Formats: sequence, C-alpha cells, structure tokens
Amino acid sequence: MFHSRWRLALAPLALVGAAWLAASMPAAEGAPVDFKFREAAINAAGVQGMADLRGKPILIDFWGKN
Amino acid sequence: MPASIKVQEQFGDDVQVIFVECQGTEKNTYEAFAWKMKWMGNNAIWTNERVIPTVGRGLPEVALIGVDGTVLLQGYPGDFGKELEETLAAEVKKSKDAPAGTPATLKKAWASFAKGDLGGALAECDKVGGDDGAKARSEMVARTEARIARVERMLAAGDLAEADELVGALQKSCKPVAELAPKVAELATKLGASELAAEREAAKAWSSFSNKVAKDKPFDAGNVKKAEGIAEKHKGTKNGARAAHFVELSKINLNR
Repeated sequence: MFHSRWRLALAPLALVGAAWLAASMPAAEGAPVDFKFREAAINAAGVQGMADLRGKPILIDFWGKN
Repeated sequence: MPASIKVQEQFGDDVQVIFVECQGTEKNTYEAFAWKMKWMGNNAIWTNERVIPTVGRGLPEVALIGVDGTVLLQGYPGDFGKELEETLAAEVKKSKDAPAGTPATLKKAWASFAKGDLGGALAECDKVGGDDGAKARSEMVARTEARIARVERMLAAGDLAEADELVGALQKSCKPVAELAPKVAELATKLGASELAAEREAAKAWSSFSNKVAKDKPFDAGNVKKAEGIAEKHKGTKNGARAAHFVELSKINLNR
C-alpha cells in the first residue's frame, strides 16, 4: 500500500524526466536531427524546431557569454 | 563579430544560424549581450537549449546540419579550415536542387518546387506517378504545410512583416493547389484584417527601430528613449511589448 502511493506520487516526475531525456537525447548516428524548442527561442520568427527548417542547411554555434 | 553572424548575413534566408548559449547565462542577459555586441538585426535564432549535444571539451563549437537533416560536421571551428565554408556552400546549392537519390524523372518537379511553382511541381509528380512520384509529392506538401504553420505562429507573435512576405510567396506557390490554397487564402485574409491595424502599425515602428539600432549603439540613451516612446505609443500590442522588453534589456548590468 505504502509503495503504491509512492509510485503514484512519483509517476508525474518520471514522466517529466522521460520527456526531458527524450528532448536531450542525441540523434542516432546518421539520423536526421529531430528537435523542438521547449521555450520560444529569441528571434525565432515562427520556428519551433528542426521540422520547420527541413531542406535548409543549419549552422549551430555553441557559445558562452563569459 | 562571430563568423556565424557573418554567415547569417551573407546567406540570408538560405541558411539558418542558431546560437546556443552554453554557460548557463540567463536568457535576458545573453539577449542583452547580443544586442550590445551588435549581433542582432539578422535572421539568427538565439537559445540556451542544446539542439544537439556538444562533442568538444570547450567553446566555441559549431555544427553543420545538412539539407537532409543530419549532422555533417561538428567540433572546434578552427579545426575545419575551409571545409566548413565549402560544405556550407555546397549544402546551400543542394537546398535548391532535388534531394539526394531523387530519380531523374522527378528532377523537373523539384526544379519547379525550388522556383516556388508548387502547382507545376505536384502536377509533374502526379505525371511520374508510382511510389517515387507519391513520395516526392508528399515531401513537397509537407514542406509547404510547415511554412503555412509557421505563418500562423508569426501571426500569433505579431511578426507581421515576415508573415506578409511568406504569405505572399505561398499565395503565388499554392494558388493552383486545391488542397492548400484555401488555408493560405484564410491566412491572407487574417493578415489583412482591420483588427490587426494597431499591431501592424506597432510592427512597422518596432521593425524600423530595431533594424536601425541593431548595428549602431543599440543601448545608447537616445535609442532607449525612442524604444520607450514606441512601447508607450503601442501599448497593448505584441510589438509594443517588444519595445518595452528592449528597454528592460538595456538596464541589465552585463559586467556581472
């Protein structure tokens, strides 16, 4: 009984964790990148993710403000 | 100026540059920093979400995703020499051609699609028929539907100039296509609606201001004052809110 309650309480957390992991997982080698922004990006002009950019080359620049 | 900004400004809409801040800087802070450094005023997108995982041990790092959606190059930019530039130019060229592996019979269809003639392209796909024709048709419709969905989001966000431009191209492209033309016509009607008049005026003011100041001391007191004026005059609109957000960004201490 005690364990079932804990399981129920933790279920939403597990779902959130799974969703987060899925969004962070690298694309399989050679597979197209499938990514959707969780939060609206700056200057996105309607772009929500990679699906909106299909057929166009994308240059990703990883940088740091500091 | 980062080389990627130059790439975005050189290639315009043919390439999408995405800047990913990786040091945990707060969103408003790195946006303010990008304004201050005069990196805004182009199509580059800014985020702190890693579109793909990084592979190196430090920054900067770049990744090039090709027209087929796969990662072609990734690593420290200095290690690539001319390879990055050349691969990017080749991908831009490919983006205007038929996808790799397209049968010769469908090259004409893809050429029409690249020119914005969706009606002609689909007619050509139907003429070729079979699995290949159906596959090409489905891909062309999917790409066009993605653009239509993007217009809807631009409209919702108040990006009216960008929405006008895209709807104009879609109207021309989709006119003879019965399955898509009504949706595009509906968007064009929404864009021309009188209820959008205030937003349209605000969009014009914000766009003119932001393009002007992006490369010229954005946060100078005079410019901030102008932004305050736009925010006040266009209060209640999405573009007025953008001007107010710009004013808030100008107050952020970037030396912390």
